[in-house]
Amino acid sequence: MNALPLDPQNTRRDFLQKLAAATATTMAMGAPRLLANEKVVHPKATADSCILIWMGGGMAAPDTFDPKRYQPFEKGVPVKNILSTFPAIPTAVDGVKICQGLEQIASVMDRATLIRSATQPDLGHILHSRHQYHWHTGYVPPQTVAAPHLGAWMAKVLGPRNPVMPAFINVGQRLEGVGEQEELKAFTTAGFFGNEFGPMNLPYPDDAAQSVRPPKGMEPGRFDNRYSLYRKLVDKNPHREFMSDFQQESMLRSLDNAHRLLSSKERAAFDLSLEPKESYAKYNTGRFGQGCLLARRLVENGARFVEVTTEYIPFVHWDTHKDGHETVAGMHKMMDAPIAQLIRDLEARGLLNRTLVVIASEFSRDAMIEGIPGSNAKDQTTHPTETLQEMKHYGLHRHFTGGTSVVMFGGGVKKGFVYGQTADERPLIAVKNPMPVMDLHATIFTAMGISPKTAFDIEGRPFYATEDGKGKAAKEIFA
Amino acid sequence: MLSAMPFQLRLASALALVTLTSATFAAAPAKVDFSHQIVPILREHCGECHTGDKKKGSFSMNDRASLLAGGESGKAVLPGNSAKSPLIAAITSKDPDKQMPPKGTRLSPEKVKLLRDWIDAGAVWEEGFAFKKPAYEPPLKPRRPTLPPAVAGRTNPVDRILDADLAKRKAVPPKPVDDATFARRAHLDLVGLLPEPEALAKFLADKSADKRAALVRSLLAHDTAYAEHWLTFWNDLLRNDYSGTGFITGGRKQITKWLYRALVENRPYDQFARELIAYTPDSEGFAAGIKWRGDVSAGATTEIQFAQSVGQSFLGINLKCASCHDSFIDRWKLEEAYGLAAIYATGKLELHRCDKPVGKTAQASWLFPELGQVDAKAPQPERLKQLAALMTHPENGRFTRTIVNRLWHRLMGRGIVHPTDAMQSEPWNHDLLDFLATHLAENKFDLKKTLELIATSAAYQSHAQILGKDADEQAYAYAGPRAKRLTAEQFVDTVWQITGTAPTRFDAQIVRGKPSTEAVEAMKLTGQWIWSHADAGNAKAGETFTARKKFTLKSAPVRAGAVATADNEFKLYINGALVASGDNWENPEAIALETKLKAGANDIVLVAKNGGSGPNPAGVIFEARIKLADGSTETIGTDPTWETLKSPPDAKGKFKSEPAAAEGNAVAVANSALWNVKVGKQLATQLAQAATSTQPMVRASLLKNDFLMRALGRPHREQIVSVRPADLNTLEAIDLNNGQTLATRLEQGASRLLAKPWPSSDALTQWLYQFALARTPTPAELSLAREVLGEKPTSQGVQDLLWAVLMLPEFQLVR
Repeated sequence: MNALPLDPQNTRRDFLQKLAAATATTMAMGAPRLLANEKVVHPKATADSCILIWMGGGMAAPDTFDPKRYQPFEKGVPVKNILSTFPAIPTAVDGVKICQGLEQIASVMDRATLIRSATQPDLGHILHSRHQYHWHTGYVPPQTVAAPHLGAWMAKVLGPRNPVMPAFINVGQRLEGVGEQEELKAFTTAGFFGNEFGPMNLPYPDDAAQSVRPPKGMEPGRFDNRYSLYRKLVDKNPHREFMSDFQQESMLRSLDNAHRLLSSKERAAFDLSLEPKESYAKYNTGRFGQGCLLARRLVENGARFVEVTTEYIPFVHWDTHKDGHETVAGMHKMMDAPIAQLIRDLEARGLLNRTLVVIASEFSRDAMIEGIPGSNAKDQTTHPTETLQEMKHYGLHRHFTGGTSVVMFGGGVKKGFVYGQTADERPLIAVKNPMPVMDLHATIFTAMGISPKTAFDIEGRPFYATEDGKGKAAKEIFA
Repeated sequence: MLSAMPFQLRLASALALVTLTSATFAAAPAKVDFSHQIVPILREHCGECHTGDKKKGSFSMNDRASLLAGGESGKAVLPGNSAKSPLIAAITSKDPDKQMPPKGTRLSPEKVKLLRDWIDAGAVWEEGFAFKKPAYEPPLKPRRPTLPPAVAGRTNPVDRILDADLAKRKAVPPKPVDDATFARRAHLDLVGLLPEPEALAKFLADKSADKRAALVRSLLAHDTAYAEHWLTFWNDLLRNDYSGTGFITGGRKQITKWLYRALVENRPYDQFARELIAYTPDSEGFAAGIKWRGDVSAGATTEIQFAQSVGQSFLGINLKCASCHDSFIDRWKLEEAYGLAAIYATGKLELHRCDKPVGKTAQASWLFPELGQVDAKAPQPERLKQLAALMTHPENGRFTRTIVNRLWHRLMGRGIVHPTDAMQSEPWNHDLLDFLATHLAENKFDLKKTLELIATSAAYQSHAQILGKDADEQAYAYAGPRAKRLTAEQFVDTVWQITGTAPTRFDAQIVRGKPSTEAVEAMKLTGQWIWSHADAGNAKAGETFTARKKFTLKSAPVRAGAVATADNEFKLYINGALVASGDNWENPEAIALETKLKAGANDIVLVAKNGGSGPNPAGVIFEARIKLADGSTETIGTDPTWETLKSPPDAKGKFKSEPAAAEGNAVAVANSALWNVKVGKQLATQLAQAATSTQPMVRASLLKNDFLMRALGRPHREQIVSVRPADLNTLEAIDLNNGQTLATRLEQGASRLLAKPWPSSDALTQWLYQFALARTPTPAELSLAREVLGEKPTSQGVQDLLWAVLMLPEFQLVR
């Protein structure tokens, strides 16, 4: 059970009640218990909130944060000559370059730790949703129990920062009506932790306010009256004392929490129409930009973990299998202003120090190599790889798992720091400080004050925050 | 969690290590006091992982026999030779990856010396000593307990056993509930619906003494309602769904059609299990599991999934640990999990330990060889048949105990063994579990008989146990049934019932219900067996026949159903979409057509293919009965008016251009009597089923998982989740507060209710309380309702009252 809104006078009593309720219900369903026999020492948190900026579909590092030799489009140029399709530009950090098109982000890179050596496994077919499952849960599917999302771990272990604010909010990803929706749902979940720790899904940031508003067409007065009728009916219920407290209490508490959020001042955080026009415009590159703005407003109001995605849709956005260069130019436009503005705004509000912002993707891309050299990954492209004939074939169209960039801002990480390195010539694999998903997660967990060895007992077996509790945080990146 | 056990690996390597660095002289061992000197050391430093039920690395020192038996890597203690005992090497090692214990304080040199001396002296153990009492091993064989005498006329065997249990504890039996509470409970538990107010009133007015038992029997006899309620339970337990991971790449198969029919027909549970294990094309999905694209770890292959699913669903055995390494928490071993997997495997199955091959091929075998064994050399279908027979062996009490325990849990709110998937643990009442299990077998594995036995007991009909805020689960003692939370499907169904807003379409690919005997008797097919030419008796092997019928309907159908079959296979396309197919002419397909046909022009294309290796008879038959809004019925049956087309449509059922007609129409096949003798009755039954079986309210169990149901705890069914969450949580509550799905239903419900003539707003409240809670409102409740409804209720007022009542814990619990 996470921390819940409490009447200050009754805090202790309530807390004990909740504990008891948790015990009773947990045991009734064989739900996960925090493993008592593992002596886990949580690190001291350097961040209270985390915003995960998810570049769903495979963000090519050489076309974003890890520029290599630039090869412009020319008819007849050998494809093997293509490493980057964008020239490099300087950033606010001496000697650190990123790709053209990310000028605004370049200007805030002096607040960032740039990890250039993230790596992923090859799972035969390099499939987006499978790698996304792995990235978000730390476990490669299929699993024998439903693995919880990173955000669910935060919700479970840390609880909400502000009791009325859901601990785990997922912005921008539609889960209905898009390709691989079932596969996306499989990891967008609290898994065996139970729905209490699952995401509040807000696929349309502009419409997020609706999720915390009384139902359409119900004015606040009526909404309150309805709830007050409900509470009175509960009080007058002749069977109240003939029903188990733990069942009733959990229902009443949840409805109370819901009503509290729906009538709270924090509700305004969800409403982008309340943002000053000028500020809104700085973010508004579409749903993704609006999502960044929403994330800022949510964190300002006490959100614990917010994921904002460019949205994964097969063959759309980062999933570039043709027209790679032009598509990525569009992605640059979509991400540059809002991410930079998010960092500036968090900083201006004094929140950046305690908010870890992470930009990540399930893997990188390359013009020539699928997976990493030597892997059995199946080719994902069909167009010719000898020489370039058409503009639509100019781009990084293959899934590459050997070296991916991750950018972190705030939350206790070093400023203007580069961690890890990829080779300058193909294969562009991580040659220094390779960082597998479990270590990346360990780093994020550590910043949030969660030991990567944290384990819960499910079905009598331990289940760790990072696989086998083996994830190791990269200590060097902490300030 | 595929390899989530690092310590055990470490132990294994530590035990394998024999250090030769320190030459130890075997001096005359000093006298050691086992109880006072050795036991405390072992308990302090080793006990956490190697005593009681814990046996990391398969090594236990709970008693002397297990100490001497050693672990996965061989012996740990060689009595008389401490120098060569790996245990001493492990506790003295300086290598953090090899030392024991893996963390915590090291053993002091004094303690190490004591252990050496003790081993050198022969590792003497106090007779009969064990650190903890050995792990419970449940009995396998069925046992029929002697029933205690009935107390106070409570003759139901369940009561005789529980009354004796209560008497022994000097506890008072819980009080019986009133008729209305019982009726609501029985309806929700057995068919998943609320009693309709009229039916409830009739039941309450009934003066007969056995009316409760009669109600239980009549609910269980509602084949359709029963099937569509229990479908939820079985879909969870067999992880079957209409959408989900795996379907996108064809890595998963539904068993919906098979499961639905099995439930409607109340197929005996032994046969049910046999059909899932030794599967048919319709039931294959359970055994086949979910095949992911790309590489999966050794513990997640479809063969291992088979072992895990069979173990969990039928035996309450968790083989997830043992799929990766010998289990630390129960007795199951890696080889046993792989043995079960190998029954299903069609090729060689390499044994993998923590995802690494161990250089051994799995031998097909099952978990309880005392009942017999499968023949590892037999072909796969034969092995599956053998497994099915062993699973349902009369001496396999584990099979029956597991399912009756699950049914007890559904009705009584807590398992006799709890949690219900942990059948390796001890029941709180052996007699009760054993009696229910033998009762099921004696009743020909009729699950409805078990439900009837439980639901007609005084125990089931008593007040739910009132748990405080701190229910002590460790020492469970029976004190009445426990209230259950409505499942997502029950909640949605009951909202649809009260508001009258159930959808008319559903996702499960089935024909609902069961036709009446009269309807089957009255059904006379007019369709004829047809083929493309007159010499259909000698059609070529592999010959394809494409037939088309165009027709118009003056309105969309209110009910339409069809039957089709072909010698040897057919595909049916309606309006350019594949609707049904079949490849067993003796098994005609019932096909629901309401949603496939439309007002105006329709066309039906049948593509039939002959089988065999030489010339043989070929034919196809189809008939649809279409009921229109004005009450008229259209019949479309195969006959010589069907066009014969030169070529079939593409795989999607579309023609690139208007297809060319062959010369002449279809021909009725002479000598079709032979087919009709064999399948005529089935054709009539299936058509009656498709066209006439009753179609009560569509149920949530027939729909794909949606946002609301997911929020209310319907699982993703990627894993087997046999128990739903017991709590309502905040995110769900937000959705119940402002979700559009519920709000829309309430709005529609309110207008429906307001269309009825209510003598007063109190009458509406009374009706609602009767329906939702099976009771009359108290004066205080009536007056609260009046505040929101007023004298002339508005739509908003009704919606708000509906919402408030639906949110009551009293409503959301089966109490």
